[in-house]
Amino acid sequence: MRSRNKTLKIVVIAVLVVLTCAYILPIYVMVVNSLKTLPEITRRTYLAFPSAPQIQNYRSALFGSRDFLIPMARPIVNSTIITTSVTILACFFGGLGGYYLSRTVTPFTRIVFILVGIALYMPYQAIIIPLTTITARTGLINSHLGLIMCYMIINIPLASVLMGTFFLGLPRELEEAAEVDGASKIRTFFDIVVPISLPAYASVAIIIFTQVWNEFFIGLTLVTARTQTVQVAMAMTQGSTISPYNLQMAAALLTVAVPLLSFILFGRYFIRGVLAGALKG
Amino acid sequence: MIEAIKPNRPRKRTSVAEFLVFTLPLLLFLVILYGTVLWNFYVSTTNWVSTAPDYTFSGAKWYAYLFRQSRFWVDVQNNLKWLILGVVPTATAAIFLAYLLEMAPFPGVEGYIRTLILYPVAMSFVVTGTIWSWMYQPDKGIFNTIIRSFGIDSPFTFTNDPETATYWLIVIFIWQYLGFSVIIVQSSFRTTELQEMIEAATVDGASRLRILFSVIIPNIRSGIMVLVSLLLISSLKVFDIVWIVTRNGPGIATDVLATNMIVTSYDQRLFSAGAAIGTIIFLIAFILVIPYTIYALRKWFE
Repeated sequence: MRSRNKTLKIVVIAVLVVLTCAYILPIYVMVVNSLKTLPEITRRTYLAFPSAPQIQNYRSALFGSRDFLIPMARPIVNSTIITTSVTILACFFGGLGGYYLSRTVTPFTRIVFILVGIALYMPYQAIIIPLTTITARTGLINSHLGLIMCYMIINIPLASVLMGTFFLGLPRELEEAAEVDGASKIRTFFDIVVPISLPAYASVAIIIFTQVWNEFFIGLTLVTARTQTVQVAMAMTQGSTISPYNLQMAAALLTVAVPLLSFILFGRYFIRGVLAGALKG
Repeated sequence: MIEAIKPNRPRKRTSVAEFLVFTLPLLLFLVILYGTVLWNFYVSTTNWVSTAPDYTFSGAKWYAYLFRQSRFWVDVQNNLKWLILGVVPTATAAIFLAYLLEMAPFPGVEGYIRTLILYPVAMSFVVTGTIWSWMYQPDKGIFNTIIRSFGIDSPFTFTNDPETATYWLIVIFIWQYLGFSVIIVQSSFRTTELQEMIEAATVDGASRLRILFSVIIPNIRSGIMVLVSLLLISSLKVFDIVWIVTRNGPGIATDVLATNMIVTSYDQRLFSAGAAIGTIIFLIAFILVIPYTIYALRKWFE
């Protein structure tokens, strides 16, 4: 027995070391090098601490500089507008749809559920050409609204399934009591179900926020200069223009800051949402 | 577990107005979604080959065109590599890791590892790809700089080598999805029935590996099925990593259907051919999610 525990301990320590290196290295490299001067980068002492932290790198990344031609400030604002709108609308409508799916068992709801289920995993490549056509013809492509609508197409079904999963787990007694008292289904939903489901809404909001903020493909194909999202701007530091690594890493850190912070602060909700989407939906 | 609606206490019928309030937005967006899928299929059967749409019917011409392109078959090969190597190692590592965390002999290990490997879930592939492409850079990259600092001449050129580039890209995918996979496996471990079975097997003196293979894995089949489906679909949809790190290169060595779709439609302006690739990706995705959808449907309406 003792020797078995010893082997286990060695295995665990080995796994710990390997994983720690593999997962700390990328983020360490990003943070440390985003604070260096260009000569320090050229010296290739990538793992060393910066001699003096260059906070102004973040100003260059946000507002642009001679070395960095893609100011990230505007894309961050664009992404914030788009992502926040999609999150709020998808949670609201998805909550309504998910409640209906979780409380009604008819052939119709089964069909809707299947359609929703497939929608969750829809490859964007299968719908992008029509989306381009629609947004170009209606002029939506020039405003944030175009991207908001496109993201809603995928995220309302997602929010419906996630919220529905939570609603399935709620005891029905309260709702039945309210209905016996004569409340309409809509009142029951808003007065009774929503208030006790706020943690679920938080989980779903974080999942959708992260997903939309990090989305790249639709952003790449549909954005115009005025609606450029943060991922598209970030991709440009890698593609068409050459950026020095220190400023590129500063931009990268700005790009992940919001979802990473929300993950650190609300990780519990995040995990719960991921599991709800994975196991039940 | 889900309480069925009791027949002896019939619920009030939903009125039409209530039905519309609850479902109209969802139905509306579903109609748009499936409408665009059909529209895309329609485009693939037309002759749209410039900026201006042209809806002249041309049958399966563009599918035949694709099948004649050697690039299409490079994509298929690469997508297969992604489907196999993005899924099997990730799922296997996740199962072992989850099991290791269950019996971790030190306190705090589990929470630490979970946070450590889960943070990439919050990051976009654009950012991860940017960092990794710097790490992979043969000359000024992090990995080779570290290797060289030991006085060794690094043999790796990572994504610059057309033969192995796709494999190095898949490493990034595994890195990003490992934490996500571990928490899915872990949650399917945590049923009382399974815990009791493990205990019984331990009392019987079964070895740890034996327990893993003959008690745990057969009992978390549905969890594994869910995980495998999610990984399959994510590795099929992979676009960002390839686009950011290698941009299909060197040459077209790392090209996949999703990146080819963009090149064909928006660079070559062969929109009908691009739509055909889109339809093909949709069909593969559809087949891949079938087992998962059936499982979810059963679970939902049980």
